Amino acid sequence: MNRTVLIVGAAITLALVAVLFVGLGKDPAEIKSPLIGKPAPEFALKAVGTGQTIDIAALRGKPVVLNFWATWCVPCYQEHPVLVQNAQIIPNVQFIGVVFNDTEDKINAFLRERGSVYPTLLDEQGKTAIAYGVGGVPETYFLNRQGVIVAKFTGPMTTEILQSNVAKALQ
Amino acid sequence: MIFLLLVTALGLPPGPPEGAPLSGQALEQRTHEVASLLRCPVCQGMSVADSPSTVALDMKQHVHELLARGYTEEQILSYFESSYGQFVRLKPRNPLVWILPVVVFLIGAVLVVVTLRRLSSPTTENRELRTDNPYLDRVRELVEKE
Repeated sequence: MNRTVLIVGAAITLALVAVLFVGLGKDPAEIKSPLIGKPAPEFALKAVGTGQTIDIAALRGKPVVLNFWATWCVPCYQEHPVLVQNAQIIPNVQFIGVVFNDTEDKINAFLRERGSVYPTLLDEQGKTAIAYGVGGVPETYFLNRQGVIVAKFTGPMTTEILQSNVAKALQ
Repeated sequence: MIFLLLVTALGLPPGPPEGAPLSGQALEQRTHEVASLLRCPVCQGMSVADSPSTVALDMKQHVHELLARGYTEEQILSYFESSYGQFVRLKPRNPLVWILPVVVFLIGAVLVVVTLRRLSSPTTENRELRTDNPYLDRVRELVEKE
């Protein structure tokens, strides 16, 4: 009986320790989204500056890097050059920025100062952000050619992080 | 001139609204109630109804619109859950979340009690080895404790 109690106790303790270690080993920025593996929520928003309507459904057939950001978000300043640089060197991948809780004037000023090589859309009511489960910014979703979300990254990306996730979208 | 417009009305739960469209005071009250069941994704344990963050305000506004269209509480909660995960529900749908910790605690408590009882009482083996001589039994107990 004593041995049984010890074995059960040890099993429970080991299970708890294992759960703790698995949790500690995870990158908190890589938050699992329930949308991964599912078709990306559809939206059509107008681009800042050009006024051109971008419909996400029309981009099927091309992997998409969908970056949610805002001008009031400090990490977005750090991430912006990474996105601009990679948008120029990675072929056949559509980069799109979606800005929410922000104003057109501030976005234009930000893009004039820091460069813009891909469409930036304004999500005025935050509905697109809600549909994608965006909590904070920056958050980036990677869509494959079929329009399915294959990865999500929370926080500012480095080139390595961005390119490793783009590779998933290209598969 | 505002030339940045939201073009499509997205963000609707799947299927038609299953309730009656609300308006006026009833809509405001119900918005608060449903928003109280949603967790603010950028706060520490605050509901969407209580949080002043812009994300929470957007979510609350969206709840308001969905209730006005006639979507039910469960349709709205399921919609938010589909994009944010079960985390967004302040009251998880799966009752195991509440029950399991209590069950595990009770199992642990039983294990502790059983172990303590076993340690404080003579073992079966000890009882089997008892002789008619109390002195020898006492010596054996002391030796085994060592």
